[in-house]
Amino acid sequence: MKPASHIEVKTKWQRRKERIGNLWSLFKQSKVGVLGIIILAIFFVLALASTIPPKIDDMYIPLYGTDPEIIGFSQPSARHPMGTDFMGRDLFSQLLEGAKWGLAVGITAAAASVIVGTVVGLVSGYFGGTVDTLLQRMADIVLTLPSIPLILVIGAALGRLSIWNIVILIGMLGWPSTSKVIRSQVLSLRERPFIESARISGASDSRIIFRHIAPNVLPLSFLYMTFGVTGAILTEAALSFLGLGDPSTVSWGMMLQWCFTSGYTFKAPFWLLPPGLCITFLALSFYLIGIGTEQIVNPRLRKR
Amino acid sequence: MVVSPRMTPELKAILRARFGLDKPLWYQYYLYLSNIVRGDFGTSFYWQGDVFDILKARFLPTVLLFTLGYLMAYALGINLGRIIAWRRGGKLEYGSTVLGLFFYTMPIFWLGLLAIWIFSYKFDLFPVGGMKSPEVWSAAAGVSTLAKILDVAYHLFLPLTVFTVWVFTGSMLLMKNSMLETLREDYIVTARAKGLPEKKIRDHHAARNAMLPVVTALALSMAFSFNGGVLTETTFSWPGLGSALVEASLNYDYPLAQGAFILLAGVVLLAVLCADILYAYLDPRIKY
Repeated sequence: MKPASHIEVKTKWQRRKERIGNLWSLFKQSKVGVLGIIILAIFFVLALASTIPPKIDDMYIPLYGTDPEIIGFSQPSARHPMGTDFMGRDLFSQLLEGAKWGLAVGITAAAASVIVGTVVGLVSGYFGGTVDTLLQRMADIVLTLPSIPLILVIGAALGRLSIWNIVILIGMLGWPSTSKVIRSQVLSLRERPFIESARISGASDSRIIFRHIAPNVLPLSFLYMTFGVTGAILTEAALSFLGLGDPSTVSWGMMLQWCFTSGYTFKAPFWLLPPGLCITFLALSFYLIGIGTEQIVNPRLRKR
Repeated sequence: MVVSPRMTPELKAILRARFGLDKPLWYQYYLYLSNIVRGDFGTSFYWQGDVFDILKARFLPTVLLFTLGYLMAYALGINLGRIIAWRRGGKLEYGSTVLGLFFYTMPIFWLGLLAIWIFSYKFDLFPVGGMKSPEVWSAAAGVSTLAKILDVAYHLFLPLTVFTVWVFTGSMLLMKNSMLETLREDYIVTARAKGLPEKKIRDHHAARNAMLPVVTALALSMAFSFNGGVLTETTFSWPGLGSALVEASLNYDYPLAQGAFILLAGVVLLAVLCADILYAYLDPRIKY
């Protein structure tokens, strides 16, 4: 059977493209959201650019590279646009390397905590009863523990933490808030007729949770992930600054820690200021994107 | 297990009895818990002293810094938030949102370093860190109690300002958002229709209700703000529980780190309880 000529038949891709276009036009309404995207794009470029300096010369390798002519700290010069640190390593290539780690740590830690939080929220909201009570009390406990002191104590007990240990710890401590929000959504979703019809047609619990309910809460999970990235970036920076970071990873927090412990805090503005500003702006960009996303996810916030 | 070969059998027996090392694991844990309840947190590896005695001195500075910081930040945040929301849609709202978020996402330790750099290093207005000047507090100086209090206040000023600014931005943004929601409620229209003065609508009808979610968030975000408190204490070498915890963790001083963490968690719980009581006071509909 041929479709009537005046009815446009859209392929799957066309429909998808249209939906993304709609979402983008909603997102565009938020000035701060667009600002966040722009800032984030700049950091992505910086992170990609971090591969360039080590190829130019060995002295620009962020962790090991040393300038044969400069031993120790130096002020900005033509060879080193931001100067060198106390070991003679180029600060500008460290800053670029920090962008890479900031993005990697922030996104993976937030993704981990959001995945755990979403699954816990789905299970807790769908099954209710004892499962719900147990999971939610666990969430309450984690929620009242201050995360940085807790990671410090765990770090002391484990010896040295690698950057991925830190990512896992941040992820394991960040899930409760997401799980609470997702749970409250699931509580209302599971009473809807389409869930009942799925159950009548014989779908299993796991199919209903992951096929029918999960797609409806994913936008909310994404929203919490953007806020989670902000928290993860700040937590990693704080841990590195306190001296619990991974010394084989050049992150912005590590740069500040080196600056602080080597006694150049107040003598080298080109060492103290850029990493802190970068942390602030990268964390800010995800938060702004979160605010923009909120307007899509929460229709009550749309332009009135 | 690592045991010093020079350890005498008598000493071994004492240690075994003290930690219940020949008993099952659950009994050792029970022993540990019951010791904590009695205020026995063990002996610090690093300072060779009783953990509780070390932490006792650290307790008050933390409570002082956090309580003052919270009270000031929330008083300021709620007041400014309602004013900004009242003049919504203008440059004031956009500017304060972006500036507020900028401070909110700033690493607090870096803000602290900037404050020390500008106010202590460049202009020499405030001390770089610590809580007391030795020359004022030594017994020989013989200064009055007032001078001692002023000396602590002088040291407190910078850390308190940094902590307050950081907490304030969060509370201000939250109050603004909550107020914007409240302003669309029907009872605000009713209040307008009755012809009440604008100020009365803003303060008695809108702000009073908009405060409720802010107080809920205060209780929920308490643990998060304590992160900032710990970092502030460390940056300014403020002798509180947070800086004790950081030092102990870096020295691998487990008993001290554990003790400081338990006390810090206790302070969080106490603060959450206070927020809950405040909530019942603010919202007469809530009864416990």
